[in-house]
Parts: sequence; structure tokens; C-alpha cells
Amino acid sequence: MMSINMQKIVTLGLGGLIFLFFAAAPVLLPLVTNPFWVSIAAEILIWSLLAASVNLLLGYTGLLSFGQALYFGVGMYGVAIGVSKFGLGFWPAFGLGIFAGTTMAAITGTLAVRLTWHYFAIITVVFSLIFYFIALTLKSLTGGDDGLAFSLPPMMTWGDWQIGLTDPNVQYYFVFFVVAACFLLMGVVLRSPFGRALVAIRENADRAELVGFNVYLLRLTSFIFAGFLAGTAGALFALFGRYASASYMFYHVSGEAVVWAIVGGAGTLLGPIIGTGLLILIREELSLYWDHYLLLVGAIVILTVRFAPRGIAGFVIDLVAKLPAEHRRKSENRPKKREAAE
Amino acid sequence: MEIVVALAINGLIWGLIIALIALGLSIIFGLLDVINLAHGDFFMVGTVLAWFIVQYTDSFWLALLIAPVIGLLFGAVIQRVIIKPIQNAAALTIVATFGLSIILQEGVRATFGAAPKRLMPPIEATIPLFGIEYELYRIVAAAIALACLIAFFVFLHRTKLGSWMRAVRHDRETALSLGIPVGQIYTITFAIGFGIAALGGVVAAPITTVDFRSGIDILPFCFMAVIIGGLGNLQGTAVAAVLLAFLEGIITAFADPVVARITSLCLMSAVLLFRPQGIFAGATA
Repeated sequence: MMSINMQKIVTLGLGGLIFLFFAAAPVLLPLVTNPFWVSIAAEILIWSLLAASVNLLLGYTGLLSFGQALYFGVGMYGVAIGVSKFGLGFWPAFGLGIFAGTTMAAITGTLAVRLTWHYFAIITVVFSLIFYFIALTLKSLTGGDDGLAFSLPPMMTWGDWQIGLTDPNVQYYFVFFVVAACFLLMGVVLRSPFGRALVAIRENADRAELVGFNVYLLRLTSFIFAGFLAGTAGALFALFGRYASASYMFYHVSGEAVVWAIVGGAGTLLGPIIGTGLLILIREELSLYWDHYLLLVGAIVILTVRFAPRGIAGFVIDLVAKLPAEHRRKSENRPKKREAAE
Repeated sequence: MEIVVALAINGLIWGLIIALIALGLSIIFGLLDVINLAHGDFFMVGTVLAWFIVQYTDSFWLALLIAPVIGLLFGAVIQRVIIKPIQNAAALTIVATFGLSIILQEGVRATFGAAPKRLMPPIEATIPLFGIEYELYRIVAAAIALACLIAFFVFLHRTKLGSWMRAVRHDRETALSLGIPVGQIYTITFAIGFGIAALGGVVAAPITTVDFRSGIDILPFCFMAVIIGGLGNLQGTAVAAVLLAFLEGIITAFADPVVARITSLCLMSAVLLFRPQGIFAGATA
């Protein structure tokens, strides 16, 4: 089908642009503005990974999770506790964070994906609230509301010389490569038969079941993968901020991630990064001039849901795909045959 | 021992108020199939409206009358403008109500201010109760909440509008074919949901603090009542709210309030997983 091909081209083009922009950000941004924006760019990258985990579930599996912050928070604590309590080095701590987030998703997921729709949305919130309150009470381990700060171990040492995230450029490119790798992985996975099966479940779970897919297992795998993405984001954010806090597990953080995914475009690979970028920019820039910028955020959410339910990315893809398609329809009639063949 | 009694009574009173708010959540879910994440903020708007009305008119009882009416109007407008166009997409309505929640909280912060304020109870007397001096207003608040609960169920079962609402919930298509104005029933239901949450807010305002964030705490509690009582099971919701608050009140007497909260959340997930129809299903119609 023509529009699918166009969609692929638009996605690739858009993805290339976003990739180039973030790759060049540490060089470009200080030229035109305050270097502080480089760290905002890193933050956008990290949070977009959390939005991507919402997107994988909502946009590709048809499950709305309002509890992804749990796996983000667990990822954060994996790193923070690994460094400050177990004395782990950089890479083991990073690995522990990702592992902890993924494992938490595997455990809670086995229960949660038994439910769908409303019930699924509610139980994900409930699980995240339970662990949020647990983290608040275990003050000796988690630091409760105040959080747990730690000093950053170096990434590599050779004698006296060491390299670590204390160098802002190393920090930025570390975040950049991890996030880029995760998005690439997600793109590959979604293109695989597994990813197609997820979309089949999203469209109609009953039919997918009848065709022979193990819906429960596929949903669970998707949930664990989403937990992996959220956990990685949390581990990155802990390293980025050098601390972990229970407040990041609260359902408002999950809600924000849902907002980013929806505004950017759920069901598109790049939607989350666009949505996260836009809303964090609004937060950072507009909040300087207008204390009540959240009113605008709320309005954007409602307007998106109402007028562009596929978000900004979906809107752009549809728009671009429509333009040349009209030209083509006049000149050739081959697409029809191809459609029939498919 | 006095503390246990006081906390248990507090829990009971809170439970009655929560029951009122949770009923709104439950009818909105049962009829419109909308999970309303802004429902806690409907309550919060009620407390803030009470504060403003008391400021300008100096009468709490006037607030008790006016605030729910304003809530009804807000609810009707919100349903028409925001919910109705996306009625058929469940995920989108959840997200839209989250956006609404942001707007309500920030709107209140912009107008009312970020600092929590206290509203003096309209009745300042205390009465002796099981050996403790208990604030009389709290008893009155519980009585008001109970009266409203009863009035709501009478409305639902004894009036034409109420039976229409039940009919739409039971079978939308048939209701439509019998000439019931389903679209309007949706609007009215959402309006009533906002209205009784606001009413709960007014009743609770002198007991708690008036704060733009108060909805954030109340929302999970309302959801617990709705889930444990059974989604859409209104009597179950009311009973569950009272039981839960009572239970949390008693646990709070012996342990950290957070432990109480974790206990009820675990109870809620067990119900969701093993008895999604709620613990009272089968017992009540």
C-alpha cells in the first residue's frame, strides 16, 4: 500500500532529523543559546524513553498503563542503591538498575496483563502506588521523600586518568547513545513478527487469540520490554541526577509520560520523543514567564486527544502521506492491483 | 483506647464523605465508561468553592447549597465540550480527564493560591462521645453525607430521571430505542458526578484543609472504594468506602498511616485480580 510506504519514508526522514539534531546538540546549542540547554536535551532524551515505554504498551499493544513510573523509579533505585549500599562500579550499577526495573515489570506484569483496558489501567496505578508507599516507609534503604544521593563512580580508569559522567560531553553522549540504541531496538522489535503480533492484539485481541497467538504471553513480553525501557530511562536519570527518589514513582510521573506519548503520537515510533521534547521545552521556557504554564499543558492534552488523537507525529505522517497520494491516484492505477495482491 | 475510638469514628465520618464522592466516580464509570482521573479535583473544587463562598457571604450553609449547583454546571459543560466528542475511545477519555485534572489544579492554584487554607467549622461546639470531647461539626458532616447518600439512592430508584439513568446503564441500545434521551442522560450523569463530588468537598472543607492538591490524595481512595465495591455497583461502592475508611482509621491507631494505605491498596489489587466484579457482587442487584 502506498500510504504505508510514505509513512516509512516520513518516519525515516523525521527520525534522521531528530537523530542528527540530538547528535549535534552539544555543539549546536551553545552556539545559539545558553549551554544549559544541552542538559535539557539530555533530559528530553531520557524522559522520551519513559514515554516510549508507555507508547509500546498503548500504541502497539493496546494497553494503557498509568504505572510506568514504577519501573522508572525502580531503575533509579537499582543504580542508587547499587552504588551507595553495595559499592558497585559504574557499569554494574547501571546494569543493576536496568535489571531491577525489568524484573519488577516481569513480576507485576504476570498479574497485571491478566486484565485489560480499564482494569489494566487501574491495576498499574495501584501497583505503582503500593511500591511508592513502600519506598516512602523504607527510609533507611530509599531515603523516603528526600531521596538517596550518591557520588558517581567513574566509567573507566587507566592509572590516574579516568573518564566519567562528570565530563558534561561524556555524560551527554552516554545518554544519547543509550537512548538511540533503545529506540533502534524498539524499531527492530516492532518490525519483527513479534511486533506485528502485538499490533494484531491491539487491533483485536479475540481474533488474535483465534488465529493462534498466545495473547497473554505476548502482552506479558511487551510489558516486560516496556519495563526494560522505563527501567533504562530510570537508571540513566539516576546517573544523570546522581540520586534516586520515591517521588518519581508517583502516578503523576506516569501520567506525564502518558501525556508525552499521546501528544507526540501513540503508535508511532518517534511520537514519544516529539511529545516529550515539546512539553519539556514548554516547561523549561514558558515557566520562566508564566507561573501557570500547566494550564497550557492541560489544554494541549485535551486538544490533542480531541483533534489529533494520533498526536503530532501521526498528524504529520498523515498530512505528508496525503499530499503525494492525491497526485499519484490521478496518474496511475497500479496501487489498486497491488492492494488486491496483498 | 480513646485514640482508637476517635480514629475509628473519624474513619467512619470520612468514609461517609468519601462514599459520596466515590458514588460520583462510580456512576460516571458505570454509565459513560469513563475513568475519571479528575474526580479528586472535582472534590477539591468543591472545597475551594466553599472557601470562596464563605469569604464573600460569610455563610457556610449557603456554600453547601450553591457549590454543588456550580459543580453541576461545570460537570455539564465539561461533559459536552471535552468528553462527548471522544466518548467512544476509552483510552483517550482517561487521558483527557488527566488533562482536565491538570487544568483544574493549576486553575485553582492561579486563583485561590498555592498555600493551603483552613475553613472554620460553622458549628464550633463539642460533645462528649465515648469519653472524648468530639467536634460536633464532624457528626453533623456525617449526618449530611448520610442524608445525601440516601437522597441519591431515592433519586436513582424513585424518580423518572433516576430510572432512566439506570436504564441507560443497563442497556444503552434498548434505552435509546425506547426514546430515552441517552445523550442528555450522559451529560446529566457527569454533571451529577461533579455535583456530588463538590458537595462532598463542601462538607469536608472544615474538617480538612483547602488546598489545590487535596484531590491527589482523595482520588486513589475513591478508586479503592469503587473497585472493592465493584465497578458500577453503587451500593457496594458506598459500603466499601465506609468500611475502608473505618479500617484505615483503626490500622492508623496502631501503625503508620502509610501502612494502612498499603494494606488497602493490596486489598484492592486482590479484588481487581480475583473478583473484578467487586466483593459484593451477587449480594446486591
